[in-house]
Parts: sequence; structure tokens; C-alpha cells
Amino acid sequence: MSDFGILAENFFQALAAGLLVGAIYGLMCVGLGIIFGVMRVINFAQGDFLMLGMYATLYLTGALALLPLAGSGAGPFVAALLAGPLLFAGGYLLHRFLISRVTGTRASAFEGDGHYAQLILTLGVSLVLQNGGLILFGSTPQSVRTPLSSRAWEIPLLYDPMSSIFLNKARVIAALVSIVVGIGLYWLVNSSRLGKLLRAAADNPRAATYMGIDVNWAHRIAFGIGIGITAIAGGLVATFNPFQPYVGLDYVIIMYAGVVLGGMGSILGAYWGGMTIGLVQQLSTLVLPTQLQNATIFVVFLLLVLLRPQGLFGRSAERV
Amino acid sequence: MGGRLGFPLLIIALIALGWLGLGLVVGNSYYQLMLTLVPIWAVMGLSWNLLSGYTGLVSFGHASFFGLGAYTVTIALVQFNITPWFGIPMGMVVGAAAGVIIGYPTFRLRGHYFALSMLAYPMALLYVFQWLGYQEVPLPMKREHPAWFMQFSDYRAYIAIAVGLMVVALLVSLAVERSRFGMSLLAIKQNEPAAEAAGIDTLRWKMRAIMLSAAVAAAAGGLYAVVLLVVTPDSVFGMLTSAQALIVALFGGVGILWGPVIGAAILIPLSETLQAQLGDVIPGIQGVVYGLAIILVILLAPEGIYWRLRDRFHRTQAATALPPVAVEATVVRLAAPAARMPILTVSSLSKSFGGLRAVAEVGFEVNAGEILGIIGPNGAGKTTLFNLLNGFLAIDRGTVVFEGQSLVGLKPNRICRLGVGRTFQVVRSFARMSVLQNVVVGAYHAESHDAAAFAAAREALRRVGMLDRAGILAGSLTNKELRLMELARALAGRPKLLLMDEPLAGLGAAEVEDMLAVVRAISAGGVTIVIIEHTMKAMVRLAERFIVLNHGRVLAAGKPTEVTSDSTVVEAYLGAKWAAIRAGG
Amino acid sequence: MLEVEALTVTYGGLRALSEVSLAVTVGQYVAIVGPNGAGKTTLFKSISGTVTPSAGRIRFEGRDLLSVPPAERAHLGIAHVPEGRQVFNSLTVLENLEMGAHAARDRRSFPRNLERIYELFPVLSERRDQLAGTLSGGEQQMLAIGRGIASEPRLLMLDEPSMGLAPAVADLIFDRIGELHRDDGLTVLLVEQRVAEAVQSCDFGYVLETGRVVLEGSHRSLLADDRIRKAYLGM
Repeated sequence: MSDFGILAENFFQALAAGLLVGAIYGLMCVGLGIIFGVMRVINFAQGDFLMLGMYATLYLTGALALLPLAGSGAGPFVAALLAGPLLFAGGYLLHRFLISRVTGTRASAFEGDGHYAQLILTLGVSLVLQNGGLILFGSTPQSVRTPLSSRAWEIPLLYDPMSSIFLNKARVIAALVSIVVGIGLYWLVNSSRLGKLLRAAADNPRAATYMGIDVNWAHRIAFGIGIGITAIAGGLVATFNPFQPYVGLDYVIIMYAGVVLGGMGSILGAYWGGMTIGLVQQLSTLVLPTQLQNATIFVVFLLLVLLRPQGLFGRSAERV
Repeated sequence: MGGRLGFPLLIIALIALGWLGLGLVVGNSYYQLMLTLVPIWAVMGLSWNLLSGYTGLVSFGHASFFGLGAYTVTIALVQFNITPWFGIPMGMVVGAAAGVIIGYPTFRLRGHYFALSMLAYPMALLYVFQWLGYQEVPLPMKREHPAWFMQFSDYRAYIAIAVGLMVVALLVSLAVERSRFGMSLLAIKQNEPAAEAAGIDTLRWKMRAIMLSAAVAAAAGGLYAVVLLVVTPDSVFGMLTSAQALIVALFGGVGILWGPVIGAAILIPLSETLQAQLGDVIPGIQGVVYGLAIILVILLAPEGIYWRLRDRFHRTQAATALPPVAVEATVVRLAAPAARMPILTVSSLSKSFGGLRAVAEVGFEVNAGEILGIIGPNGAGKTTLFNLLNGFLAIDRGTVVFEGQSLVGLKPNRICRLGVGRTFQVVRSFARMSVLQNVVVGAYHAESHDAAAFAAAREALRRVGMLDRAGILAGSLTNKELRLMELARALAGRPKLLLMDEPLAGLGAAEVEDMLAVVRAISAGGVTIVIIEHTMKAMVRLAERFIVLNHGRVLAAGKPTEVTSDSTVVEAYLGAKWAAIRAGG
Repeated sequence: MLEVEALTVTYGGLRALSEVSLAVTVGQYVAIVGPNGAGKTTLFKSISGTVTPSAGRIRFEGRDLLSVPPAERAHLGIAHVPEGRQVFNSLTVLENLEMGAHAARDRRSFPRNLERIYELFPVLSERRDQLAGTLSGGEQQMLAIGRGIASEPRLLMLDEPSMGLAPAVADLIFDRIGELHRDDGLTVLLVEQRVAEAVQSCDFGYVLETGRVVLEGSHRSLLADDRIRKAYLGM
């Protein structure tokens, strides 16, 4: 095969990989987007909830394996979905007891619009989760095994029957599940009554109070949903990437980069932002060593924040 | 800045001696290591304080500088055989340079973007260094001339060096705190726009702060490398490092040099002991302890233990004594204007936000020595106008000429230095400092010597009638007194033109009278005053002339009696129908 | 229906309201006028609960309002049309109205209420799927009022509905408010800067200045009184 042919094949492989992983990054970013983009709460622990989602998926898969399920390949994906409500509860409680003390109406006691206190508090939560995870789960890298992880579809490229790309089956299923969850969330937020209440509370908390909407409750629910969605994304990532308790850190910047890229306040934008980050990460491996792929994302993030903080879809930004 | 230096210097000396004494006594090598680490982390906390504690810009990325310092020392030793005695200062230079490179673009960001960006830098560096192949770099043992290479068999030498570094860092922090450097940073933290309007070049001070902070952090990193004898990207660029710098300062006390020392002295032994005792059974106990410490601190004592304790035992008198009155203030009495010449000329000034014209074709003159009132119904564009004059908003079209110089496009601190002062509606003060210390910040741009700045501040306080309250802590002032203090801060810079934004809002009748008297006195002293106000009853007695704005345009201008009976003005305030009814019958 | 007794509100040392008392009986149309900074909006915020008074009492239908959490006050039947419209910009017109109905006692009456709203403000029907943030100022005001009546309130409070609107649009708004009062029997409490528009339809009016009630009376007596001008312009 010609050099060009190899190059093209590599390119399409990377592109496919980027789309697949991007679909899941998109979901991750949507979770953060609800919390950061809409509620303007900075959650340093977002990556660690992702990590908890991964471990929850691991243990739930183990539990589900005891039940007879049609086709053992489905187990991990169901487990990932179940991790969502579990972590939703965790996020709800976290907001209720800790986060709400440093946000909203109580934030005025702290300097710097309360952002400072949010940052620090969630940093503390992050440390506790990471190291608590280390204590509970140990430091050995884990992964969620599914028979699909080692199989792939071979798709020949149309223009040259000799070259083809390989699509890992587990990754494809994970991406599809991710998209379905994303669509479900989109419906929830846009069409359901709960979604309208949450959007109203985020859009204008004072007017929402005048309408009789309990804004504190709305924030808790939204926070919980954001955490739950990210946890599901984590569970899906766990089906093809190994993880350990500190894995959250790797993903924190990815998530923030995606949300910023997509524009603050836009949930759909967050999804596209995550997708783009996934593509950038995978395509960068064509020209840069794999070790630097995350460094590339940081650079992208920094450039974004410095040059175009409103992202592709967003509104005004916080600049001097 | 004055104040007695003796007391803090004594404390520093005592801490140093006490520590060295401990070091002489302790024989167990584990505790010796701890005695070395505590000062190193205290220095890291002090470096964090230098930037984030004083300016309020929270940095989650001090590991960048720490790591660069560590690697500079390591690479210098391993590849170029340069001793750490030189390596550490080299690391400080690298750190300071990194501070500049990182600071310049990042300071343009606010709030969470700043914090997130700072987080990204050390993580990027971590990956880069891993990729460069510096997975784990041990420092080579130097058998010949070990002392030249900062390697000692007796651990107490390391303790001494660490304590030495801590003393240097404490002295640096003390010098910063007690000088206008620290005061300017605190002013930025307290209210950055107000600091700009008072003549403080906020960007320049922030850059200086990050350079100094980065250099100190790099020194800590360099010493860390020497002590531990092995450097990995994770241990120096990792999240825990940045977190530790932050926690140590936050726990002990933000914005004060004792804070990081307290924080390090409590947290490091605690976590290291737990790690040693339980580390095998419960790995990660260190992180959990830090995490819980942060959560507890931010909920219960958000500014750290030091402040919590100090506030509990506070007195209304300022803790530091006032500087001696050595320099008599040269009372600058501005020459009474011969004729009423215009000092400020505005023409065709326009500003739009999106499709909304906030200010449209506004033009007027302000005559030297007069008191001009800017009035108009809600949303007329008055505060926007001030923000345009001051430099906080960019002008779309039009000219603003002050004493023959155009103000268009100038930064607020430059406009202030040209002679335009500004007071704001919301007054945020340094609650824990004296009134005089609050006011002196406004004098920095006019006086380069601190003693003269204090004299100018005192003079300003005299003019507003608050000189007797100069030593009182600002946190115990009444609302009217806060307003007067804010006014004094603006006056300390000897402005020729003073823009006052709603000075009377919310004051009771007697307090309004006091404020009016003060404003008249200031005007008599030669300062030209432009006031935005809603309280018309008071304004008609104070202002010599009015400019009425409505929907961003000048509706009328003239003496109070003319303007208040002008039918267009009546219509703007009370509605067309009412004006018609009154006019008709 | 609504009684405010000796209400005092202070922010820090600033007195926004000092000992303000007023009353609104069922079916009345009461107007509060006064210059900027008089405390009119603070008064509404105290009733709605986004501001806590330091002294005084507020009773609604006999019940102490201050002990009711803010988000529940709407469910008692108090609708607040805020200053500056404050519509939910990222929601559609219809979604805004749905949010307004959140506090309604009986959700099933929403379709009927919606018809009434569209009857009063036909433009809302035309733009029902448009994002509220893209409407003009006058349309947003109509939406805010529609949102207020969507819950079938017992008391409708409007804060400066004419602010920023052209006179013709403002007139239309005031006409509709008058219609709601006359035809639907709605109790109305209105705050306005434009005196005549506010006072012309009201049964009773109050004039606020720097946090105090300085004048009160029927609409005829207020229209004839020059002291209103003094309250606004100082002389």
C-alpha cells in the first residue's frame, strides 16, 4: 500500500476513534455543563465522580453477572446506566449538605463572589474522594471486562478495498449508549416539566422564586443530574480504558475544556465541545507522541480561554 | 508602611531559634525529615500567599513553579555538575520567568477561568516532563566536597538550611506586607475597580506579585529536591503539591505571614505521622486528612485559623501603632479659579451595548471649582457616563478632554493620576485595618515616599472631618463614616476633579446634612465636583448646576430652579400625562 | 387583603424603608408612586420575600407573610411582575407562561387562563414558540404580566411596568391592567414612576419618598396635589 494510503488509513482510524471516544466525552461534558455552564458552580470533584462512576460500574457488573442476562456482553453497559441514579443520589446529598453552603444566597459572606469558597470546598471533596477511593479500592488499575472489548468490526474504506479501519465493538456500543443517554437527557431538559423548572431556575433565580419555584431544590436536582450523567459516562469509559482512583484528574481538564469550547450555558454546546476534544485528542496522535495527547488538550484549553472564552456557541465570558 | 517592626522580627527570630533548638535535640531521622519538610512547605505556603493570599486571585497551580525549581536544581546538578547552592537561585530565576510568562495572559481572566487555567499549567508540565524522559531522576551522591554540593551527613544541616529559607521567606513577606506593595495587593483583592480608580496600576502589581511568588516557590522546590534526593514529575508537578501550598496557607491564615507557618506546623506533622503509622494499612490517608481539613476550614473559618482567633480577641483600636508625624503635609490649596474655565469638556459621547444605546451624543462642560449634579430618571445612563469618563468602559464615539488632555482610551489608573478621582456606591474597606491605612492607598500614586503618603492621607481625613477616627478599625465604622473614608481615599490623591457616585443614598436626614457640609468644604478647597444623585431634596441645595439625562441623552442643563420647572424634565420624571394635566389645569 | 404595618428595611446601615404602612382591600386597585430610590421596589421585594425586613409586619389574608418562605408565597396567590420584566430569556413564550402557572391552585384551569392571556395580548399567541429573550420590551412586559396572571392570583403586583417602554405601548399596558381589574375583578397593587398613568385608574394611591410615605389619598386628590412634584424634584 502506498504511503498516502497508509496515511489515509491512519487518519480515518484516528477520526473514527475520535468520534467514538468523543461521543462519550460529550456526555461527560454535558454532566459538567449542567453544573458549571448553567449553575456556574465550579466543581473540582467532577473528575472524581467520574471515577466513582467507573468503580460503581465495576462492582455493579460483578453483581449483575450473578443474574442470568441474555448475552453477557450487555452487563457492563447496564451497570454503567445504573451507576447514574446511584451517583445522582450522592451528588444530591453533597449539594444539600456542603455545596449549598458556599453557593447561592449564602455565598455573599465569602470574598470573591463565593467562587473562591466553591473552588476550595470542591477541592477538598476531590481530595477526600480520590484518597478515600485509594483506601477503599486500592491502587491497582482496574477495567471492566466485556467480551466485546476484544472484538472489532472491520470496515473497509470505500475508495480502497485493501485498507480498512477497525471499530472496537465495545467502544461502538459505549458510544451508542452515550448518544442514547444524551438524547434522553435532552428530552428531559427541553420537554419535560421538570426540565422547564430547572431551566427557569437557572435562567433567572429571582423570577423563578416569584413564580413559586424553590430554587435551592432546583439547584440540588440539577447538581445531582450533572453528577449522575458524568458517572454514566465514566462507566462507559471504563469498558475500554483502565482506571485507578486518581484517574479523575486526567479527565477534569478534558471536561472543562469541552464545556468552555462549547460555550458556557449551552448544554448542547457542551456535547459538541466534548466531541471536539475527543477528536483533537485522537487526531493529535497522528503527529504527536501518545504521551502528549493530554498535554495537547491542556494547550487547547489554555488557548481557548485566552482567545475565545465564549466558545463556539456561548454567550459573554468573564474577561477583564 | 511604618508600624513597629520589632515585634514581628522578634517572633521570627524566636521561631527560627526554637526550630534550630529542636533540630539539635531530635535524633530520630524520621522526625529530622519532618523538621526539614515543615519549613519547606511553610515557604511554599508563603509563596502562595504572596500571590493568592494578598490579591485574592486563587492559584491552583503553584506546583508549576515548585516543579521548575526542583528540576532546575536537578538538571543543573546531574547534567552540568552545578551545585545546588547556585542551582537554587537559578531555579528562582526560572520560576520568576515562568511567573511572567504565565501571569501576563492569565491575569486577563477572571474568577473561575483564572483558577482553571492555573490548574492546567502544572498538569501540562507534568506530561511534558514525563515525555521528555524525566521519569525519576535521582540526585547523584558527591563523595568529594559534599558540602559544596549541599550534601551533608548530618541531617541538622538540612534543617538549618530549611529554617534559613523560611526566615528569608518570612522577611520577604513581612517587607511586602509592611510596604505599599502589600497594601496595593490588598486593595486589588478588596475591590479591583476601585483600586484602579484610585491610581493603582493593578496589572503591574499583579505581575510583580506572581514573579516574587514564583521565585519563592521555586526555591522551595529546589530545596525539596536536595533533601529528598529524587525527583519525579508527579511528586513536584502533581495536584497534591499545588493543593498543599494552598491548604497550608488557607488553614493557617490567608494574607498574613504567620498563616502558612501555623498551617504547616499543624498539618505537615499530622499528615506525615498518619502516613507513617497508617500508610500501609490505609494508603492515601494523607490526602483524606488534607481534604477534610480544607472542607472544615472553608466552612468554619474561611480565612484561616489566625484570623478566626484574632477576630475573636479583636479590639477596636488598630493593632499597629500609627507612624510618627515626621513630615508636615504641604497643604496644597489649589489656586481659586480666576474665571469659570471649563476643566472637563465632553462632546458627542456615545456608547452602545449590543443594540441598546446607553449613552447617546452626550455633551457638556464642567467648570473649574463648581459643583455639578448629574440627575435623571432610572436607567438614564448616569453611571454608564461615569464609567466612560473614568476609563472603565470603552468609548464608542466622542471626545473627553480634561485640562487639555484627551482621556479617550486611557486606563483608569492613568486617568486617576492625571487628576480625576472617583468614589463608588458600594464601599468595601479593609475591615481589619485602620482608617488611615485604608485611606493611604489612594495617596500612593501621588507620593512616592510612604511618609509623605501618610501625611497626604491624614490631610484628606482632616478635610472630611475624620482625623480623630484615623486609628479606628474600619470594620467598626458607621455607614456615613465609611462614605467619608471612601471620600478621603479619593482625596488623598489630590484630585482636581472628583466624580461622586450617589454619596447620599440611604443616609438619614442628619447624616445627609453632614455629607453636604463636607462636600461644600471640599469644593471650597478648590476641587471640582460632579455628583450623581437621586436624592433631589438635598441636591437642589448643593449643586450649582444640573445636567439632566434621560434615555442616555442630555435633556436639559442649567440652574436648579430652571431645571426643576422645565416641562421636559417634569415629563421625564413624572410622566407626560401628569405634566400635561398640570400644565393644562 | 394585604396589610403592611410599620415596615422597615435596612441594608447594612442604609435605610431603604422607614415605618411604611399601607393597605389593600379585596378588589381594590392601589398605586404607589415616587421618585427613584424611594424604596418602591424594596417594598415589593419584602412582600415577595427576596428581602427580609428588619422591623414591621406584613399580613396577607390575615396570615403573617413574613413567616412564609419566599418560594411558597406565590402559592398563596400573590403574583409579582418584577421590575425590568425578568422574563426567562432562554425559555419560549409558552414555557414562560407555563412557569407562571406553576403556583396555580388547579393546573387544569391553565388552558382556560391561557385563552384569556391570548385574548388580552394577542401577540403572545403569535409568538408562543419564540424565545422570550428575542421579544421587544413591550412584548416582554406583556409576557411578564401574562405570566403573572397565569396562576390565577388573588393579588397582582406590578413593579414599574412602563419602564423603558414607549408611551403608546405603556398606555396599552395600563389599559390592559385596568381591564384586568375591572372585568376580572383582580386586586392590583401597582408601583410606578409615571404618576398620572399610575394614579388615573387607581382607587387609592401612596407617594413614597426616601423610604417614607409622604402623601396618600384617592386618585383625584393626588392628581391635584403639587406636593408630588416636590417629592420627585425637590422643589
